[in-house]
Amino acid sequence: MFAVETQKLTKQYGKVYALKKLDFTIDQNEIMVLLGPNGSGKTTLLLILATVLKPTSGKAEVMGLDVAAQPTQVRKLLGVAFQEARGFWRHKPADILRFHASVCGVPKTKAKSTIEDLFKDLELWDARNKLFMHLSGGQAKRLEVSKVLVQRPKFAILDEPTSQVDLRGKRQIWEKIRELQEEGSTILVATNEVREAEYLADRVTVLDRGKFVVSDSVRRLKDSIAGGDIVELEIDTSEPKSLEKALNLIEGTVKITNAEENRFKAYVSMAESWVPKMTEICYQNKARIHSIRITEPSLDDVFLHFTGRTLREDDK
Amino acid sequence: MSEIRVILAIARNDFSYFFRTKWLMAILLSLNLSDMLVVALVYGNMMTFEYFNYFVPAVVVMGLFAASMDTGRRIWLALREGVIQYELSLPVSTKGLVMAYLLAGGAAALVYASSLLLIAMLVLQAGAIVSAIMLLPFLFVLAMGLAGIAATLSAIASTHGEFFFAFQNVVQIVLLTLSTVYYPLDKVQNYLPSIIIPLVSANPLSLAAEALRQYTFLGLPIEIGLLTRILITSVPFAIVGSLAYLGALRKIQSEGKI
Repeated sequence: MFAVETQKLTKQYGKVYALKKLDFTIDQNEIMVLLGPNGSGKTTLLLILATVLKPTSGKAEVMGLDVAAQPTQVRKLLGVAFQEARGFWRHKPADILRFHASVCGVPKTKAKSTIEDLFKDLELWDARNKLFMHLSGGQAKRLEVSKVLVQRPKFAILDEPTSQVDLRGKRQIWEKIRELQEEGSTILVATNEVREAEYLADRVTVLDRGKFVVSDSVRRLKDSIAGGDIVELEIDTSEPKSLEKALNLIEGTVKITNAEENRFKAYVSMAESWVPKMTEICYQNKARIHSIRITEPSLDDVFLHFTGRTLREDDK
Repeated sequence: MSEIRVILAIARNDFSYFFRTKWLMAILLSLNLSDMLVVALVYGNMMTFEYFNYFVPAVVVMGLFAASMDTGRRIWLALREGVIQYELSLPVSTKGLVMAYLLAGGAAALVYASSLLLIAMLVLQAGAIVSAIMLLPFLFVLAMGLAGIAATLSAIASTHGEFFFAFQNVVQIVLLTLSTVYYPLDKVQNYLPSIIIPLVSANPLSLAAEALRQYTFLGLPIEIGLLTRILITSVPFAIVGSLAYLGALRKIQSEGKI
């Protein structure tokens, strides 16, 4: 059984499709990252799975439960960190987390120690006595994520969990999300931050304008871009033209450029298998390798490859 | 965790939100106490009947009304700040969430009104404490009904706060004017058309004020008939309010906003 499965899931606002016939699955205990620019349908999908929104048509199941027909049962399994932190204005962070823990059935003593640990780990200790309405954006966001971390749900939904959070805070939150996975949770993260996706994802699903584009592991998505890996070489050779010709024959080579006499730039698929073959050819051609620099495509490149647009294009 | 426990936890949270809003507490208390200790006293000297004794119990009902109506403000805030989306993701049914808000509204108003009742009993040196305690459950149902009205208003007003407060003022004027909270029925009959008088008599605020005057302050024996009328007139408000708020939540779930 999939942890999450959608079939032809559609959400329409008037004439606008936020999601269009989305088929998508998440395996048990997997971290799935939804990647897409603003307006791609990520948040709509999360809100449907969180039972906050009802689909216009199609089906969505969480742990085998239909989100439209059995919302209360689904809610017992999930925890959500919303894109914008949701808190009671006149409550302090500890009150908010205590309330969340009590509603989600976390025993009081366990909740108390977990809340204290989270305050320390996520650097909310100094803000613990502030009212929610006085928290900074980053603090409110960390508090939002803390709700899920106190709850330890079977299925965690995190919408841009580190937006507005500084670099150190991002790393701390990512570690906590990983810990949650180690305890058996299935996790769905929506982001348009490439680094976050690369750090967390077991698999990435790319959405664009409400439609499913592609879903796979980060490695495979990158490898699927023909010529996506760039290998820059500095090689001493007396016959650069014949070496270039030989390199071009290696499986996975898309293009070789030879800007200067001893500098080559190879656009290849799967550099990890291309480089050993290249070194062998260099050895056979008595060419001496001075340096090798490999650049792999980013998820932004993946998005560009599959959609023809960049992740940030819609934000401009 | 059972549904009821979750409902109670949400209700307790909203209940505490009411008392954490210090500016509101300050406004309500200062208005109600000035009504009780200044307005009633001054008017009492101008009236031909014991207006002070008549009006002080009614201030308890006015406090109950104002505190109940704050449920609508809290619902409106939850809608505006998106807290409602968070609450819709909690392990409780949507109907349970509506129930939690009405319970919280009723409980917060009851606790607030009880403090006014205590002050009023001290001021008027009323001793029917048992009667006062027996009235509380009925005042709670009335407060839930009024919270239902407030929920309806906030659902209609959507995220437009100014509309909510405008609607609230209209309801306040209508419900309090068409009641015996300020004046006895024979005085009201002098300035309102006779066709409206049955409404004034049936107004749950009139009934509650009357029950407080008769049973708590005059010490008359409690009549089930009057208490039943409070229930009969309050419950429809609570039901309509629940349905309106439920409708608003369903709309959020289908359209993403109201």
